[in-house]
Parts: sequence; structure tokens; C-alpha cells
Amino acid sequence: MKRLVLAGVLALGLSGCSSEEPQVLNLYNWSEYMPQEVLDRFTDETGIQVVYTTYDSNEAMYARLKLLDDSAAYDLAVPSTYYVSKMSNEGLLMAVDPSKIEGFDSVDPELVNLPVDPENKYSVPYLWGTTGIAVDTADVEGDVTAWADLWDERFQGRLMMTNDMREVFHVALRVLGYSGNSTNPEEIEAAYNKLTELMLSVRTFNSDAPRMPYLEGETDVGMIWNGEAVMGREALPALEYVYPEEGTIVWLDSFVIPKNAKNPDAAHQFISFVLRPEIAALISEDIGYATPVVPARELLDEEVANDRASYPTPEDMVNAEFQTDIGDEALQVYAKYWEMLKSGQ
Amino acid sequence: MNRWLPRTYLTLVYLLLYIPIAVLVVFSFNDSRTGYEWGGLSLRWYEALFNNRAMVRAMWNSLWLALSAATVSTLIGALTALALHRYRFRGKNVLNGMLFVVMMSPEIVLAISLLAVFLLVGLQLGYVSLLLAHVTFCLPFVVITVMARLSGFDERLPEAARDLGANDFTMTRTVLIPVIMPALLAGWLLGFTLSLDDVVVSTFVSGPSYEILPLRIYSMVRVGLKPEVNALGTLLLAFSLVMLILSQWILLRSKR
Amino acid sequence: MRNLMQQPFRTAVLVLVWGWLLFLVLTPNLLVVGASLMTRDPATFISLPLTLDAYRQLLNPLYLDVFLNSLYMAAMTTLICLLVGYPFAWALSKVGKRHQVLLIFLLVVPFWTNSLVRTYALKLILATNGLLNNGLMALGWIDEPVQLLYTEFAVIIGLVYLLLPFMILPLYSVFEDLREDLLRASHDLGAGRLATFVHVIVPLTLPGVLAGVMLVLLPAMGLFFVPDILGGSRNLLVGNVIKNQFLDARNWPFGAAASIMLTLAMALLMFAHKLSKRRIGEDGV
Repeated sequence: MKRLVLAGVLALGLSGCSSEEPQVLNLYNWSEYMPQEVLDRFTDETGIQVVYTTYDSNEAMYARLKLLDDSAAYDLAVPSTYYVSKMSNEGLLMAVDPSKIEGFDSVDPELVNLPVDPENKYSVPYLWGTTGIAVDTADVEGDVTAWADLWDERFQGRLMMTNDMREVFHVALRVLGYSGNSTNPEEIEAAYNKLTELMLSVRTFNSDAPRMPYLEGETDVGMIWNGEAVMGREALPALEYVYPEEGTIVWLDSFVIPKNAKNPDAAHQFISFVLRPEIAALISEDIGYATPVVPARELLDEEVANDRASYPTPEDMVNAEFQTDIGDEALQVYAKYWEMLKSGQ
Repeated sequence: MNRWLPRTYLTLVYLLLYIPIAVLVVFSFNDSRTGYEWGGLSLRWYEALFNNRAMVRAMWNSLWLALSAATVSTLIGALTALALHRYRFRGKNVLNGMLFVVMMSPEIVLAISLLAVFLLVGLQLGYVSLLLAHVTFCLPFVVITVMARLSGFDERLPEAARDLGANDFTMTRTVLIPVIMPALLAGWLLGFTLSLDDVVVSTFVSGPSYEILPLRIYSMVRVGLKPEVNALGTLLLAFSLVMLILSQWILLRSKR
Repeated sequence: MRNLMQQPFRTAVLVLVWGWLLFLVLTPNLLVVGASLMTRDPATFISLPLTLDAYRQLLNPLYLDVFLNSLYMAAMTTLICLLVGYPFAWALSKVGKRHQVLLIFLLVVPFWTNSLVRTYALKLILATNGLLNNGLMALGWIDEPVQLLYTEFAVIIGLVYLLLPFMILPLYSVFEDLREDLLRASHDLGAGRLATFVHVIVPLTLPGVLAGVMLVLLPAMGLFFVPDILGGSRNLLVGNVIKNQFLDARNWPFGAAASIMLTLAMALLMFAHKLSKRRIGEDGV
């Protein structure tokens, strides 16, 4: 009975939140993508409670923020690369006030003013990573250096691809010499034809934990995110992360403030907090992905900072390409070929 | 033989059901991060779990939601089944059809359409919207289970009760409810199980005020499933088993 | 007088039930039907004018393949659940009343662990480096690992492991009612074990079988998360197509239309089954 009353009070209380209560920051993020310690330290310092809710894909996050438009309850979200431009173009985001952000100048110049948000009007980088090739060197003889090597017959049935339409097509487009963000239907069709050859080799698609098929012993070579490669190496030291010659896929998760955020001030405060070098370093070490905050890299463990998988050298990034929003028309073309690919037609 | 064959079979199925769970329990004590190697005995994932307040809170939210959703859907589902079984009213087929549609709707369709309705009426997303959504998708499971039980039921009993002067409510309470009790138990358990595991519908109809466990678990995409969830599963299992044994013990004592 | 007494209860029940279903089932589904007739719009998901484009798109034979593939998986799952669950429920009904409830709870407790976590545990068992392969190799029964994970076999195991209680629980609720005196009567009348089974037990438990089949078959059609993880997601299932249309391709009218056609197709299937039953004289539910 007590709990019933509690639930009732909770339900009523929600509709009538007032400013007298302690300040709350509603953070909408991937699960376990922000260490509890960071949230605690932020609360200790500012008195602002962080409510951390989660989503399992950019698509779901986008659809919700769009549907909730007028009653948006989130103050901060963390979309990946091109979702920033998509959301800002559709008016879902509030401009970030640079005067309220401290430490923005310490962000890696390579990761600001990207085409997805030319002047960083709407977004501040949080963590970034790459999608490259994983090779289980214990089972694979000879070098694998390029995406094109995945088409090698010896990998038949031993190949893993991420379960991500854009990434898989990106690979084929690059092998054919096109941009990974192609919107040309002919190029996309060519990529589809190229991928049908690959389907025989693919053992599994996986975007939940791409390191697992390698650890399971099910696959020897294929795509992986760099952070997953680092985690996978703990259990399987032979797992190597390769930057493909045609160029790796780069992605960047950024903070954005949804248009109707209730507490944008707290959001700005939180972004500034996370940009502090010691906090950024703590996050990078805990999560396993690279921080864009340059001074933070000095504070990192030597081993982490010198790990090429996490922090690539400039040579590794030759030909690297960010994904951009390809627009609705091209998206329909991709979606059609993706269905055909998966259904074996 | 007549007694041992069924028991052997039961034991076998229970074994098969519990093997994956046993694996999970064992690996919750594994020091290594992944399950494919044994890194030695360790309690580090339990420690990590206790420090993961958000996950523990989500677990309590989930349990409370499942408990209430199962109870409400059993109540409404049982009444629906009784109405379908006993009363003549217009639109019976429509009612049946609606339940069928709920069962058949892909989760994402249910999720978005329910969210749209909640937004239309201006309902704040949180516990209440989750409860409404969960009860709705649990409902057909309860109704079908109870209907199956009622269809084998001797029609003369309620007639007799009525002839003896019982009104509808009394008759339902004294004759029908005891008859459908096993189906109510079955329906409640189905609802509890369904609610505890739902992720797609909850993704859409929950708000920041009330996060539940499956969302947190399915959203561990960037870092992969953490071994903490094995520890959590183990604790939940231990808790359920202890409660079960305790209730059985109390039941047996009170009967004596 | 008696009529007056029973009216309020009846009215209350009907108002509650209808109210719930109209608000939370009919309204959302009218929205779905509406959405399926609208035009796809990148800015607002759906917009006017009304069109049948989404349904036209569904004519692609690719979707028939996807549907049949899903139906096959779901049917196999249902069949295995029935084969395992029917004797299970029967055996359960033979255990003393005192322990039955305990055993029923023991049956569902494993299902309270999150399905994703359980799926990962299954992977630990089935993988090439997994426990089963390692165990069999240690015993010397096989020389090299058998491929189990990322096969149809793994998908069906996963689906059965997800849905088994949905078969057993409704079956249990009818077996619990199966009266020993009827079986004895059948025996006394000279019927053998098989005859008793076919003519007495099966008809009496048929409502439970049909309920179980519905509770397993219908949800199995729409599941995709767990089959994807265990099957390597190389094949499209109905659930994938619809979810992708809503989230990835953002073609809501098409997603809505696909969902409606799926419901209709399954309703037709159930209806055809009912008709065929009636023709051969077995009165189904």
C-alpha cells in the first residue's frame, strides 16, 4: 500500500515540478557511456542532480526527440556524427551559447567545424572513434591492409560486418573508389552489387558488441569499432586493429541541447565540466574511446595515449571520412538495397 | 514407472531451462570481462553493480512496474474473459479482434502509436504511461489463458448458483473465480514476465523520471554488455528463489 | 430484483473493458491505419495527401519471402514448444497440488532474467569457443568444433527458450482441470491408453493447446532482436523490416501498412484454420 501511495505521489509530482526543488539535468545518452563518478562529482560541485536516461540507437533517440517536440524533457543528448546536422536542420536543437562554455578552445581542431556543424553552433564534441578492420592474427596468415581484402575468398564464412546499413555501404563505396556518403543511385547500386559478392563470406552482422564474434571464435576478420577492438584485446591479444588503406570511417558523438530543454544553463555547465582535461581523461580511460580534449591526452595512462587503436597517427587518418546526412531520397535507395541484401535477392 | 517417467521428464526440462542461467551465475564470479575465458574467482562485478546506482534504481523500477502491470492486466483481463464468456453483448467480435490486433502488432508499431495517443491527451511520460502501455500488451495473454480455462468449464454450475439466489457478483466471486484461479496465476506470471522484459515499447513511452532495466541493458551498445548484468541477474535469481522457498515453507506450515 | 442486482456489475465490467480497449487499442490502431494511408514526409514523418503507395510498395515479392521465412521460424518454434510443453504440462498436473505452484514459479523464474543477458549466456554455450563445443571436444566425441551459433538451429533454440512458458502456462491451466474420474471412466469402458489419449485427453485439453499456439506463434512472428543476435542477422524477419522502416528508413506509411497486412495475414491464417476444423467436425474454440 505504501508503495502504491508512493507511486501515486510520484505520478502527480511529475506534472508539477517547480523551480524550488533541487535543479535537475536530464541527460539522454547511450547506457554506460558516462562514468557514474563524473556525474557524482558534477553534482557535488554544482548541486545539480543528473538524471541519466538511455537509448539504444540514434534512430530511436531521433524519433523520440522529434515526436516529443513540444514537451521535450531532455536537456542534453548525445547524437552521433550526422545526426547533429539532421537534427539542427530540422530545428530540433537549441544553439549552444559559446560564452557559457569553458574549455572549448582545447578541443582538437580536427574535430571542430566539421561539415555536420560548420561553426559548432549546435554541438560540442564528447567522444570520437573510428570503424576499421579487426584481424585475429592467430588465425589469419598474411597481411590485411584494406577494405578490399575482406572480399578475399579465404575469409569465406569467417567475416563479420557491423549491422549498420550506412557503415556497410560505406565500405563497399570506398572499395569502388566513391565517397562513403554517396547519394548517386548508380554508385549505391554498384556498392550493392559489390556487397552481394561479400554476403557469402559474412558469418554475422553485429552492432551490439562487435568484438564478441571474434572472441567467440566465430569470425577472424571484419569490421569493428576501435573501442571494441581495445576491449576485445584484453581477452584476445591476437586481435589487431587495422586502419584500412581506403580510409577508416570516423564518427563523433557530440553533446547537443534539444530545442525545448528545461534547464539549458545546467546543460552548458555540464558540457564545460566534461571538457575539463582531468574529467575528459577520466571518461576516456573508463569508457575506452578517445577524447577530443587535447590537454586530457597528457593526463592519460601512457599505454592508452600511445595506443594507435584509440589515438591514431596522422598517417592512419589518411582518406578517413566522416559520415554526413545523405538526405531522405538517397536514404530510401540505401534502405531498399539493404533489404535486398539481407533477404538474399 | 507411471510415477517416475513424468518426474524424470520434468527434471530434464528444468535442467535445460536452468543451464544457461547457471552459466550466467558462474560467469558473474569470473574476474575476466568476457565469458570465453576464466580469469579467476572475483566479486568485482558485484562491487561494480553496487556502485552502479542507476542500474539498481532501474531494476527496482522494473520490478515495481512488472508487479503492477501484471496485477492490473490480470484483473482487467479476467473481467474481459468473463464478459466474453458469460455476457451477450454487441461487438463481441470487435473486442476479440482488438485483442488479436494487440498480440499481432509489431512492438515498434505499438510503441509509436501508443506514444502518439499519450501525446494527444497530454499524458506526462513516466510510470503511468508505462503502466498503461504494459497492461495493454499483457492483456491478450491473460484473456486467452483465462478463456481457455473457461471453455472447459461446466455451464451448469453458474446456473445452479443463480437458481440458489446468488447475484452475478456473488456468483462470479464464489463459483467462477475459484475455477479460473490456475489461469489467473498463469496469466499473472505471463504478464509479469512480458513486462519485465519489454524494451521497444518502453523506449518510446518512458520519460526521464522512470527508467527501467531492459532499456539500460539494451542501450549498452557503445561499450557492449557489461558483466555487471550477470551479477544483477544472479542476485535477482537468488532473490526469487529465496522468496519462493520462503512462501512455500509458510504455506506448508500454515496448512499443517 | 435479481436483474437489478446483477446489472451494475455487468455494466461496470463492460464499461471498464470497453473503455480500456477503445482508448488504448482502437485509438492507436486508427492512427496506424491513418498513417498507412498518408504520404511519407522526411520533415514530419507523415503528411497529406492520402495515397495507397505504401500498400503498392508491399506488392514486392521480397516481402512475401520475408513473411514466409518468418512464418516458418515461428511455426517451427511453436511446434517445438508444443512438443516439449504438452508432456511437461501433463507431467506437472500429476505432481501433488502442494508442489504445483512452486514448480510453476520455478518454470518462469529463469525468464525473469533479461532476455538479452540470457541470449548472451546461450551464446557462451553454443559458440565455436563455447562450452558445448569445448566439452564435446574434451570428451573426444568431436574432433573440431561444430558450427552451432549463427545458424537457423540457434535461432530456433533461442526462440523456444524465449517463448516456452507462453505454451506451458495455458496448457497447465487446462491440464489442472483434467479430472481423474473421466480418465478412469474411459479406462473402465475398455479404452486403451492411446484411445483415452486421443478421444478424451486431447479434446479436453485442446482449448489450452490452441491458446498456447496463439501465445507462441503470434509473438514469434514479430520478434527480431534475439533471432538477430543468435542468427547473425543475415536474414530479414518481419519484425526487422517493420522496425527498419520506422526507424532507419523513416518510411512510416510503409511500416504501418506492413504491420496492418501482417495482422490481416495472420488473422486469415487463424480463420482458415478454424474453418477447416469445423469442416472435419472437431469443434474448435
